[in-house]
Amino acid sequence: MAAAEPVYRKEFPVKGGDFAKAGAAACEIKELLKDLGIDSSTVRRAAIVAYESEMNVIMYATEACMDLTVSPEEIHLIVDDRGPGIADVELALTEGYSTATAEMRELGFGAGMGLPNIKRNADVFAIDSKVGRGTRLDIIIRTNGHLKP
Amino acid sequence: MNDKNFHAIHITKDKCIGCVRCMSACPTRAIRVADGKARIIDQLCIDCAECLRVCPHEAVHSHTTLFASLEAFEYKVAIPSTVIYGQFGPTVVPNEILSALRRVGFDEVYDLSSICELNCAATEEYLNEHPQPRPYITATCPVVVRIIQRRYPSLCGQILPIEPPREIAAKILRTILPKALGIPAEKIGIIHITPCPAKIVSINSPATLAKSYLDGAISIRDIFPQILKALRKSDEDSMMRHLFPETLFSGTGMGWPLSGGETRGLKSHRAVAVSGIRDTMRVLDEVEGGLLRDIDVLECTVCPDGCVGGPLGVENRFLAKSRILELVAAAGEHAVVDQKDVSRLYHKNFLSFDHPVAATEPRPLDHDPAKAIDKAKLREKLAADLPQKDCGVCGAPDCRTLADDIARGYACLEDCPFVKGRKEKR
Repeated sequence: MAAAEPVYRKEFPVKGGDFAKAGAAACEIKELLKDLGIDSSTVRRAAIVAYESEMNVIMYATEACMDLTVSPEEIHLIVDDRGPGIADVELALTEGYSTATAEMRELGFGAGMGLPNIKRNADVFAIDSKVGRGTRLDIIIRTNGHLKP
Repeated sequence: MNDKNFHAIHITKDKCIGCVRCMSACPTRAIRVADGKARIIDQLCIDCAECLRVCPHEAVHSHTTLFASLEAFEYKVAIPSTVIYGQFGPTVVPNEILSALRRVGFDEVYDLSSICELNCAATEEYLNEHPQPRPYITATCPVVVRIIQRRYPSLCGQILPIEPPREIAAKILRTILPKALGIPAEKIGIIHITPCPAKIVSINSPATLAKSYLDGAISIRDIFPQILKALRKSDEDSMMRHLFPETLFSGTGMGWPLSGGETRGLKSHRAVAVSGIRDTMRVLDEVEGGLLRDIDVLECTVCPDGCVGGPLGVENRFLAKSRILELVAAAGEHAVVDQKDVSRLYHKNFLSFDHPVAATEPRPLDHDPAKAIDKAKLREKLAADLPQKDCGVCGAPDCRTLADDIARGYACLEDCPFVKGRKEKR
């Protein structure tokens, strides 16, 4: 049964500094999840995770690929970026901590809620970061069986 | 009537020539053109009237109330939107307009600006008592409520549960007038006058009340000629209204129909005002993605510049806006509503929704999740085969929507003239 399970997969490329397209990938992911019949509270969690991780790439990284896989049981999002990496992951996961520049804050970003917010809305959250190379987020949101017929 | 799928916007088939203007303008992709006629998909339509604005053939009409249909009421009351004050030149004062409406045939006419101020004060109290969630979204624009029910269901709980001024005013009048006049409640007709085609949706199909307190909504456009006639014939009356103004207008409430006007009177909360359907959708997308959490209240109106940009007004919205700003300045900042009255009504829940806004039935590609995934894959493959010209000849607004329609079984690939041409060449 598990082997034949249908899976939807799509990659969303995101470019660092591309504020004009900020939120576009997250928005597309959100619409897609609605079309797949996922309940609205799960879609909301996934939308928040997708928005925050997309914004992190746009604000800090050079580029990234957001790799989305949806099965009836879970939403799996991998965001693998090429960028500066995070020196102190523990600190970045602290509520309220932010490295946003004044310019970013002026645009309304950088409230320091990014990573903690992603973690809070994920069922499984893993982060792997190498300074000078990039950051990889691995996030799973379970659909709590809502997708099951 | 409480039909969840009641719509204000309809297409008159005889007038429709099957051009694709309305289909391209629709922000929710709710229109298809088939057999040379436009057709609206009920579950997708949010009654924003973008189609009505662009149709050059007057084939899109709205189901507003006609004045003649009010004959059944023994006593007729009008509560016009404050937009009406901006529809005339600078020499016509609000009291004159209210008086002219009486001459048109309403037994009584009440100004809404004080109730707008009351709503704002109640909103302030509600925000003080409810620190979460953020942002709350105001419920004045019925299209915003409908779009949240249909496209942003997870935001239903963020709609600020205070009824809009038109319903509060009608509720107060409906409570007081039958006793005061000795006329049975059902013989009293309370009618809103508005530039908005969607108010009739919130009257016939209320999202937050068991039953609307209003009996109808007449468009400003429909009743404008009668008001103008009544104004012309009333020189003495006009002088009286100029010299002995009988209604005290609220400056805070007077500015209500301009974007930002609903929340301008808030003293201790951070508000953001958005107007226009596309910008409203963009911002709601952001809210659904968890942004704007540092904003207390989000005011959305889908007409450009707020209700003053409603399609059933007469004066162009820039002039109307300028006139209303003059009136706001003239009325000044002082409060006309007693805070104690507001508090009393608020704590009696007199101003609240009967029930929260409920999401409408979602519309997934398939109710079976495995099949939905298969259909999403099919849709993607189909979209890649289509020319991406978004020409509309197939009867869908763009290639992506045609792919969606095909995946759902409503259309076929050969509807696309490019695909068909390619196949015929082979």
